[in-house]
Amino acid sequence: MTLSKEVYAEFEDVVGPEFICNDPAIMPSYYATEFAAVILPENTAQVQAIVKLCNKHKVSFRPVCTGWTGKFQAGVVLLDLRRMNRIIEINEKNMYAVVEPYVITAQLQAELMKRGLHLNVKGAGTNCSAMLRGHGHLDQSTGGDDRNHLAIEWVTPAGNIVRSGSLGSSDEWFCGDGPGPSLRSILTSATPPGVTPGVFTRAAMKIYHWPGPTKFPIVGNSPNYALSEIPANFMTRYYSFPTMEKMWQAELKIGESEISFELMGFNVAMVAANITTSNEEEEAAFKRLSKEVQGPGFLIILAGNSAADFEYKKRVLNHIVNAAGGKSLASLEDPRTEGILMCQCIRISASIRETFRPGGAFSSIPVMGQRDLTIKWAIGAGKAKEPLIEKGLIVDDGGASFGWGVEQGHLGKTEIFCKFDPQNAVAKQAVQAWHDEQSARAFKERYFALLSPGQPEEIGKALSNYHVWWNKLQKELDPNRVSPEGGALV
Amino acid sequence: MEQAALVNAIGSGRVSHDPAELESYSSDVSFANRVRPASLVKPRTTDEVHRILKFANETKTPLVPVSSGAPHFRGDTVPSVGGALIVDMSGMKKILMVDRDRRVAMCEPGVTFGELIPAAQKAGLRLNMPLLPRASKSVIGSILEREPVVMPKYQWDISDPLACAEIIFGTGDEFRTGQAAGPGTVAEQRAVGGVQKAPYGPGTASLHRLIQGAQGTLGIVTWVSMRCEILPSLEEPFVVGSCDLDQLLELTHWLIRQRMVNECFILNNANLATIFANPAAADYRSLKAALPTWTLFYTVAGGEYFPEERVGSQIKDITEIAQRLGIEAVRTVGGISANEIMKTVQQPCANPYWKLRPRGASQDIFFMTIREKLEGQIAGMAAQADRSGYAAADVGVYIQPAVQGTSFHCEFNLFYDPGNAKERNRVRELTSSATKSLLAGGAFFSRPYGDDARMILNRDAASVEVLHTFKKIFDPNNVMNPGKVCF
Repeated sequence: MTLSKEVYAEFEDVVGPEFICNDPAIMPSYYATEFAAVILPENTAQVQAIVKLCNKHKVSFRPVCTGWTGKFQAGVVLLDLRRMNRIIEINEKNMYAVVEPYVITAQLQAELMKRGLHLNVKGAGTNCSAMLRGHGHLDQSTGGDDRNHLAIEWVTPAGNIVRSGSLGSSDEWFCGDGPGPSLRSILTSATPPGVTPGVFTRAAMKIYHWPGPTKFPIVGNSPNYALSEIPANFMTRYYSFPTMEKMWQAELKIGESEISFELMGFNVAMVAANITTSNEEEEAAFKRLSKEVQGPGFLIILAGNSAADFEYKKRVLNHIVNAAGGKSLASLEDPRTEGILMCQCIRISASIRETFRPGGAFSSIPVMGQRDLTIKWAIGAGKAKEPLIEKGLIVDDGGASFGWGVEQGHLGKTEIFCKFDPQNAVAKQAVQAWHDEQSARAFKERYFALLSPGQPEEIGKALSNYHVWWNKLQKELDPNRVSPEGGALV
Repeated sequence: MEQAALVNAIGSGRVSHDPAELESYSSDVSFANRVRPASLVKPRTTDEVHRILKFANETKTPLVPVSSGAPHFRGDTVPSVGGALIVDMSGMKKILMVDRDRRVAMCEPGVTFGELIPAAQKAGLRLNMPLLPRASKSVIGSILEREPVVMPKYQWDISDPLACAEIIFGTGDEFRTGQAAGPGTVAEQRAVGGVQKAPYGPGTASLHRLIQGAQGTLGIVTWVSMRCEILPSLEEPFVVGSCDLDQLLELTHWLIRQRMVNECFILNNANLATIFANPAAADYRSLKAALPTWTLFYTVAGGEYFPEERVGSQIKDITEIAQRLGIEAVRTVGGISANEIMKTVQQPCANPYWKLRPRGASQDIFFMTIREKLEGQIAGMAAQADRSGYAAADVGVYIQPAVQGTSFHCEFNLFYDPGNAKERNRVRELTSSATKSLLAGGAFFSRPYGDDARMILNRDAASVEVLHTFKKIFDPNNVMNPGKVCF
């Protein structure tokens, strides 16, 4: 669907001619979708005006900001929010930051670290929007999912501006809930499969204490960065355990004792990915490290608020690891390797190099919720990867899954990848089959349900008919159905 | 409402039309208008709650859910309309689960703090609870009201400690929030090792947030699971007294920011004396006079591993921060030991409830705020009280850092004699005028109750419009507690 000249002109009146485009030569640079137009609003008022016009002309729209990936219907107007990239406020005393959608995590994190603060970094990496709902390797000490949002400014699908919580009543960002029932019940997500319809134009995010340096002492040149020194009261280690049960026991106790700044349960495939700069190096490192470990393991970063705090945390960690029969990976105790991994895991994202680099594509089953339950499921899903590895259809990662405790182990996240060559049709098919089988098993055995657009009715029915309520909400909030599902990972 | 139809629908053993019993639900300690309900039902099972909702929708009978025992304080359990059916959930008293490793407990609405605390302790767990809830307070009632909790370090999200809930919406449909939604029944989830802990989802929505703060206007909750914390093996309590609130707020900021303390809150001398004085008025006055204007209370705790070392290092680090600020943490304040405060606030309040001790009734004005505005709001309240003839020095103040230091719950307690019309009217008028001034001064009344709810909600018409959308979906016949919040 293309826009008529008249309708195009109305959108152009909002943003000016330089910030709207439907040029066939340019459009393919925006995903593999035939968009009606791409519009780049600068502020909330422009977003609202565009959404109002979309309603007037019954044109569907989708917002996107950092755009890690996206699924879009043909013919929609794409709102590219890259001009909305301002950090509105960093409130140190009340521990929150207010950002526009295109503020990336790296940008905000750098500003926060100067002030002795930091934030949750999502698994999608620090190049992604700071206001993203999601999980990341810092969840242990910085929360996760939809739990870091405070007040949110939202342009509804009908084009109304709603400011949740304290923002709507008192023009302050510190609280997103009330008066009365919380709008955060729906103002949650910009990630597929379900997204809050409309556009989030600004959001306040919780921020956290950062006991480290104002910036990492990085030396070297891309891609061979290293730290000139390990920051005071910081330590990174990788421990392997005789069994998954032992590893879980250690993870449980670490959560309970509240000593971990970051804990990421993964096998050495992910360690190898993070300390190397190419697939060849990675493969060699994986083989080498695999011989050093005794079984499943996790990476942990300790960060002390003081020397005494650091010493205490180290002592508890050693006690817990020893009790569970854990063994430190000696290679990682080398300060250079430790520094690379520490920086990689705090500044960037521990999972990024594992995703696209080895095979060019990956298929993933992410599960949020109860860590021990999802580990149990992931053991089976990992075993199911082994035949694919043996046939050379996916990258050999030892059948790995990964995950971590969230909020000092109260909650958890587990995920499992299959990395493959997207040009290899056989591999692609095999990975899809693995994905379908393991998702179906999770549902059948009542571990969890992997939700997706167009899923069978039986999944919604088995989840308290949540889909029925969500569809009703969408219908009410988006009477002209101009804000379709699908969305983009921002 | 036809009495026979109600009995027929729910069963005679659960229904009451006894005038004396109905009268007890017709008013509370607040200024809510007295409205006598038509009937009372006390369900014992989820199935009975279903039947009540079915009956209500068929007969368009207003339902007013109540979980806690009397005295009630905010008017939310007093009917706003005639012909109402009180749904008293206090008979649903099962503790359904306490799981130490997953740090979660689950109970029905009738379970009080006094009942759940020992069950949690037996498993090595503790609850993050509000400050001194009355003995009859329902745990679920407190959680659904988003009451502030005394351990801000563990309040990652304002919805905490709520994990999952089962609710029968106004439509009569049953829904489970978060991980409890499924797949499968709770029993099927348990069979594979699942507990009902993760609050978000399923899908985009996190509907547990919708039923909190709703004052029973969207449905009736039949159980809730909640996150619990590990019971410390060693705790050291401290107090810091000062006439300089800003100084205490600065210390509080660092204590919470670095997650060094568990319980952490500030009381003014009026409230601390109210809680700890013996019943005699003279004792209250002498204790209040002996107390500093503001007292910060906090505990430092150690868990399973090397608790002495943990507590020792935290105390050392806190001492350094306090010294930088020129203040000192000590073990007693005005003759009250920090240990006594700790023991007291880790249990529900002994009878009589502390807010009733000074004058027989209390009207609470509470809101969320941030540090920059807090002192101005307190000063404004004091000026307003003095102008009204209510001695500012008698206003109780409770400051609770919330959500890991991102905000404060600030609460003013106005104690009065409910039998004295002049006092009662003065407090009522002061409540309204102070609420108005505080709103203008940036206070955020996230939990609006009673007469002033309309004034509060009118400031955010856009959000109210969305809330009406929710109401239309989840309670289209408006049978759930009509007249409350904005419905």
